Amino acid sequence: AELRGWNIHVEDYPVSIAMESFMAEVAEKTNGEITGKTYHNGVLGNQPDAIEQIRLGVIDFGEFSLGPMGQSVPETNVVSLPFIFKSIPQMYKLMDGEVGEAIGAGMMKKGMVPLGWYDAGARSFYNSKTPINTPADVEGLKIRVMSNDLFVKMVESMDGNATPMAFGEVYQSIKTSVVDGAENNPPSYESTNHYEVAKYYSLTEHLIIPECLCMSLKTWEKMTPEQQAILKEAGQNSAVKQRELWQAREAASMETVKAGGTIVNTIADKGPFQAAMAPVYDGFLAANPELTDLVNMIRNAD
Amino acid sequence: MSDQSPFIRRLEQVLDWARSFCILISSLALVTLVTTFGWLVFGRYVLNVTPTWVEQLALLLICYIAFLGAAAGVREDTHIGVALFRDMMPFTIQKVVMVAIDLMLAAFGAIMLIAGITLMKFGWDTALPMLEIPESFRTLAITSCGALIFIFSGSRGLIRILTFRAWSPEADLKDL
Amino acid sequence: MGLAILLCVFGVGVVIGAPVAFAMGIAAAAAFWYEGFPLLITFQRATAGVSVFSLLAIPFFVFAGEIMLHGGIARRLVKLASALVGHLKGGLAMVNIFSSMLFGGISGSAVADISALGSLLIPVMKERGYRPDFAVNVTVTSSIAGIVIPPSHNMIIFAVAAGGGISVSKLFLAGVIPGILMCVCLAIAAYILSIKHNYPSEPFPGWGEVGRSAADAIPGFMTAVIIVGGTLSGVFTVTESGAFGAIYAVLLTKFYYRDLSWQSFVRSVTGAVRTTAMVMILIAFASSFAYLLALYQVPAKLSTLLVSISDNPIMILLMINLILLILGMIMDMAALILICTPIFLPIAKGLGMDPTQFGIMMLINLGLGLCTPPVGTCLFVGCAVGKIKIEQALKSIWPFYVAILGALLLVTFVPQVSLWLPSLYD
Ligand code: NA
Ligand code: NA
Repeated sequence: AELRGWNIHVEDYPVSIAMESFMAEVAEKTNGEITGKTYHNGVLGNQPDAIEQIRLGVIDFGEFSLGPMGQSVPETNVVSLPFIFKSIPQMYKLMDGEVGEAIGAGMMKKGMVPLGWYDAGARSFYNSKTPINTPADVEGLKIRVMSNDLFVKMVESMDGNATPMAFGEVYQSIKTSVVDGAENNPPSYESTNHYEVAKYYSLTEHLIIPECLCMSLKTWEKMTPEQQAILKEAGQNSAVKQRELWQAREAASMETVKAGGTIVNTIADKGPFQAAMAPVYDGFLAANPELTDLVNMIRNAD
Repeated sequence: MSDQSPFIRRLEQVLDWARSFCILISSLALVTLVTTFGWLVFGRYVLNVTPTWVEQLALLLICYIAFLGAAAGVREDTHIGVALFRDMMPFTIQKVVMVAIDLMLAAFGAIMLIAGITLMKFGWDTALPMLEIPESFRTLAITSCGALIFIFSGSRGLIRILTFRAWSPEADLKDL
Repeated sequence: MGLAILLCVFGVGVVIGAPVAFAMGIAAAAAFWYEGFPLLITFQRATAGVSVFSLLAIPFFVFAGEIMLHGGIARRLVKLASALVGHLKGGLAMVNIFSSMLFGGISGSAVADISALGSLLIPVMKERGYRPDFAVNVTVTSSIAGIVIPPSHNMIIFAVAAGGGISVSKLFLAGVIPGILMCVCLAIAAYILSIKHNYPSEPFPGWGEVGRSAADAIPGFMTAVIIVGGTLSGVFTVTESGAFGAIYAVLLTKFYYRDLSWQSFVRSVTGAVRTTAMVMILIAFASSFAYLLALYQVPAKLSTLLVSISDNPIMILLMINLILLILGMIMDMAALILICTPIFLPIAKGLGMDPTQFGIMMLINLGLGLCTPPVGTCLFVGCAVGKIKIEQALKSIWPFYVAILGALLLVTFVPQVSLWLPSLYD
């Protein structure tokens, strides 16, 4: 069968390359019984639409950020909690282990089968006004965030002014001081040229939101156990490849922004930031008591 | 169409009432859209607090303007189409073709209604960001649109079949 | 095979006169059904196609345009135009064209332009001895200048269709000179015809009157300035500028001009709702249609085909223009922008054409299609307003076609026409 794949990124992006190698491996190991075509550039719609399509079985596989997936799979919301993972290596370890299994079980219930966890780096704040070293530095800053209540509360709990805004409007808005800054991972900060207008990049690494290569449950159920095993293995291998490519890409982006005059600062002590997030966690757990175990599983991991 | 039976006249009245209701709801949606955006601009620049729900509400309202307005357009027969080729056909064929279009649209409306209901069920556990109401409220727009198109086109087709001999496409134009 | 079903069902739908938006939806549903997809994907795509943040500017622009029409701003712009250019040969034709330039289709809706200016000017022109077909043709063809003169909602649809990499500010600026150029070409055509038919000129009302009508019209014209200026300054997003412009127009006509009755407000709102719905439903089902075209990889295949026919950039650009013109004749603008941009923009980029310039070229092309049968919304409305038959208008419209084609060729082959102004802004 010829599978259809959805991907929002351009063809030479780490995710896209990994997806291509996933399908190539599957085709080879199944002797051409399963082939696939990945439609890059989001030509088949944006992520919320694509999630609906994969659940309906219109598209067979896709690569999604767990952030916006929270609207349909509650378990994935957990990784949108600020500072929940301590570092990228820790995220790899947990997602490849029991945390990934718990989240994956939630996705299965909504018709998606996770095959591998991809890396989208850590998101950090950037702005045109001041380096951020403590939560107090965020006070009064107008920060563009993604349309998600958690991110709004994250900024508000540091007394910043959270401004959800379409991504395409951010550059112009920073340039003209409609907002003071935004937050994103290094490759996005670089490729959108936001570093030209917001020169303070503070490595708060507040959000580490993994991505997922998934298959539609409807497609999955049509496969033989041998084929499913091949798909799982290829998915896992593609994740390893994607993570390598991603880190190379991230390093290159950091070089570029530094050469472009960005002032990068690391955070000596993330403790005060984590402490400031207490209301975000309290609110989240009050609204989703059934996720308490999962949150604690990640928070208590080392 | 002057020689209408009381049944048809009554039906046309009800349909016009439904049409006006669509326009009323879409108009309220438009006024709300303009007002809330005014509030957004005011909040962002004057109060320095951005109301975060405005954009997502706007995306919801635009669906109602589009789909309810379009349903009204089906009743008013104002959608853009090409009459040129049809006008070249013999009179009776024209009438048959117009009835066929009515029935085709009615069928499409019915499919839209069923698909809309399925999408609503499907989206019930997906929340619209920032508004925290089910996604189904967005798909309700296309569901209602399907129902209305089914009713509007279906009844027009029915009326045209019932009055097939008396009715002429040119008289329709005069009605506009 | 699926592609054949898609195109055939759509083609048959158009030929028998089904509404274009629904013909697209039905064709898409048929193709999805053939591919074994659940049918509801048609409607999921349609809803997704409408819920696009950038498209929210459309209802605002359309509403502002309606308020200008019903709240007396349009009338004041025509008065100013009369005072300025009415004394030229064929004065009312010049007034008609110049008003369109000022009105600029705030809504970017050429149809609003025609109903606003046409219903004011066509009766007066007929009274003053202009041939009705001439009056209609001037009105219809000049209205499409409003599509490229900013603000224009069709530019926003183009920016969305291009995938978000194109700045609306840049498009707004890029449209100014081509829009004026179109008006100048049309004015030349109208001037020559006016001499031929010896159309009258109006008496010059004196500089005092020019000043008075300017003072009266300028606050109204500010609606356009607010929308464009807000966007260009970057202080507001396009959507916010549109909302702000609409609110300004309401307040101005209500409290300053005192021309906005409750009835005219209601007419503006319901008019805006109808126009918005008409545009949005086309966008909705064009999204389902475009999804399938992407799935069948039509853009890539068509561009390979086009490049295989000729490797001469001039030939390819002419071919693209020709295809757009033909498509523009049989389909409506919003849908075509969504469907054609992913197909032709990559080719144009490959030839080294700036995407912004391509956008303007495409808009003029599709705009011209609005004045041609068989699907020519502007022509239809213009003929209805002028109470003449379409055949009658078509007999004498060709000089105006020539004028617009002239402007189109300049935009296609002289990048500076569209790109000079934006280059100053950067
Ligand atoms: Na005009
Ligand atoms: Na046309």
